[in-house]
Amino acid sequence: MKISNLRNSTRRRASAAVALGAVLALTATACGDDGSGGGGDKGAEGSGKGKIVFWDNNGGVRTEIWKEVIADFEKANPDIDVQYVGIASTEYQSKVDTAIQGGGLPDVGGISASMLAGFAAQGALETLDFRLAKSPLNGKLNKDMIESMRAAGGGDDKLYSIPTSANNGVLYYRTDLFEKAGLEEPTTWDLFYKAAEKLTNKGKNEFGYTIRGGAGSIAQALDAAYGQSGITSFWDSSGKKTTVNDPKNVEALEKYAALFKKVTPAADLNNDFTKMVAQWDSGTIGMLNHNLGSYQDHVKALTTDKFRGIPQPIGPGGKRVQVSNPVDGVGMFQSSKNKEAAWKFIEFATSAASSSKFNESAGQVPAHADAAKDDWIGKAEPTKLAADALSDGSTSIVQLPYYLPDWNTISKADNEPNFQKVLLGDMSAKEFLDTMAEQLNEAQAEWQEQKG
Amino acid sequence: MITKEATAAAPAPARTAPAPPRPDKKRRAWDEAPRWQIYLPLGIYLVFTLIPFYWILLFALRPAGSTSLVPWPMTTVHFEKVWTDRSFGVFFQNSVLVGVATLVMTTLVALAGGYALARFDFKIKRAFMLGLLCSQFVPGALLLVPLFEIFAELQMINSLGSVILAETVFQLPLSIILISNFIKNVPYSLEEAAWVDGCNRFKAFRVVVLPLLRPGLIAVGSFAFVHSWNHFLFALMFLNNQEKQTIPVGLNTLMSADSVDLGALAAGGIIAAVPVVLVFAFIQKWLITGFSAGAVKG
Repeated sequence: MKISNLRNSTRRRASAAVALGAVLALTATACGDDGSGGGGDKGAEGSGKGKIVFWDNNGGVRTEIWKEVIADFEKANPDIDVQYVGIASTEYQSKVDTAIQGGGLPDVGGISASMLAGFAAQGALETLDFRLAKSPLNGKLNKDMIESMRAAGGGDDKLYSIPTSANNGVLYYRTDLFEKAGLEEPTTWDLFYKAAEKLTNKGKNEFGYTIRGGAGSIAQALDAAYGQSGITSFWDSSGKKTTVNDPKNVEALEKYAALFKKVTPAADLNNDFTKMVAQWDSGTIGMLNHNLGSYQDHVKALTTDKFRGIPQPIGPGGKRVQVSNPVDGVGMFQSSKNKEAAWKFIEFATSAASSSKFNESAGQVPAHADAAKDDWIGKAEPTKLAADALSDGSTSIVQLPYYLPDWNTISKADNEPNFQKVLLGDMSAKEFLDTMAEQLNEAQAEWQEQKG
Repeated sequence: MITKEATAAAPAPARTAPAPPRPDKKRRAWDEAPRWQIYLPLGIYLVFTLIPFYWILLFALRPAGSTSLVPWPMTTVHFEKVWTDRSFGVFFQNSVLVGVATLVMTTLVALAGGYALARFDFKIKRAFMLGLLCSQFVPGALLLVPLFEIFAELQMINSLGSVILAETVFQLPLSIILISNFIKNVPYSLEEAAWVDGCNRFKAFRVVVLPLLRPGLIAVGSFAFVHSWNHFLFALMFLNNQEKQTIPVGLNTLMSADSVDLGALAAGGIIAAVPVVLVFAFIQKWLITGFSAGAVKG
């Protein structure tokens, strides 16, 4: 009896302890607030002073230059403190998506055109039109980049991200190898194919070209297809059917994919940009298609004496056609509790001085008109050539549908494995482009329906 | 709820004397084989395995732009760059803190849980064990948003505590199962003898059982340390402040969207790998003993 009472008493004490623990935990849970919002939080204008958090969407290589820009900003605005968080580009989207769902979004974030639609569709971004209209930046930013950002926002014609820079496709080629082989600069697609063949000597492990067969292959494949076909629009006149599987694109892609193993290393099948750039920088390969972002890597590895970076080759009729590269920019999250300070930072980061400093370091084309006139552009040849090509009317840009919420899935998970099949000869270029066209048309119809 | 104590292990049935070993033809053939037939394939395998490591070392030690196949002239500039400019010194400290705290918490809780599972019978014991096993099937990414919300509510986002807690929770099921198997292998009669000598249960456990669990503790502790050292997802998601991030997150930022500094990446990779290699070098013997004892018997 005594033992039983003791047991009951122990049980009661244990139950009470568990209950107390649960109450305390629930109380802590109910009261907790980390002071930052999620996707549905409307935020507040704030005092224009205090701390703001900035997430860099391409942290690491750009950390130093962003810290410089932030130091300049804090000097000019001593009552605002900016906390910098550099996030690797590959993980940025998932981190922001988690914060949209669970809370903890920053005030300002790097928002490129390629990820704009997804964030805007979740109601996470603040529209910036009215702030830009009242800002000294108004009229100073590249109109095409502004339009590109607007178009990428998901079709509501609102501006969610202020452009900082544009990237552009570049054909890098080894001047030393071209000279040795007596080849002309690959300014046209015919010269490109001729050089790729002539520079290949598999026995000596020398190749004319390196193709992107792994992650990120679709944009490069489309660049080659549209570049050769000369088609300048991603959609037909009805806006409902894509032109990716146009017979001219099919023919162009067949020719391009046939380069695999003929003039490229067999390992190119799994090439993402890292492997592709590394093997071009350290091997004997004649040409490489990438963007302005890797220019500094080539300079370090090869020095400017051994290579040049020129705009994509010219297609039929003397016309250059390229697919669009995502415009990069900075946006404000709607949940920010200090929007006034956040806007001050965005304004400063996209001003002529900051834009010039940032783009000189990144080797990209500045969005600010005054920054685009700075001296450094003349010294960075690929950037100058890209800026000229984008502004002198010689180049038509095929705008990829970044606004489609399914674009990233279609252009990566759904079709990258299929492009590898094309390279291996297990799938025809027509079958590949037809499959992608079907998915794109469906996604476009769905988007148009949602848009009303 | 604990209902009764497990009975002591039944005495093992008497065994007959082992038969004298029979000559093993395979063994003899192995012993008589020329040494080169053994060392040549092993050497080829070793070279094949070590080439990627040599490549990392090469990129880390040779100057940027060099295409030399030997790291000469040698430079430490990549190490200096990642350690100071890219804050790997800070990331390293954070990773050590997360790893050691996870190791300690996992081992302590697994010891308590494992002891209960090994020494007590209770009604839902089988269901509990099944639950522990099933919890291993749930990937961490699936629980990311709920965990994020919980830590945000508890104001633990941006604190190393959130990563330590999440890592510990994910390490515990396997650790408890392993420790319980180690404890089952320690004869219950040893503890009973200690009780007879005047020890209470805790002291008997501490004085008699715990020293016999050394291989198991090393196996579980090292597993927890290495896993938390390498784990990327929780640190990426729960930590926002640059000064609180860990080595795997730092490594990831060495690759930008369009550009990669291979020298810095290789140097960062070596910094990340060294503690794990050292841990394994020192505990290899106990680790193998520990895992085989914990995993096979039960």
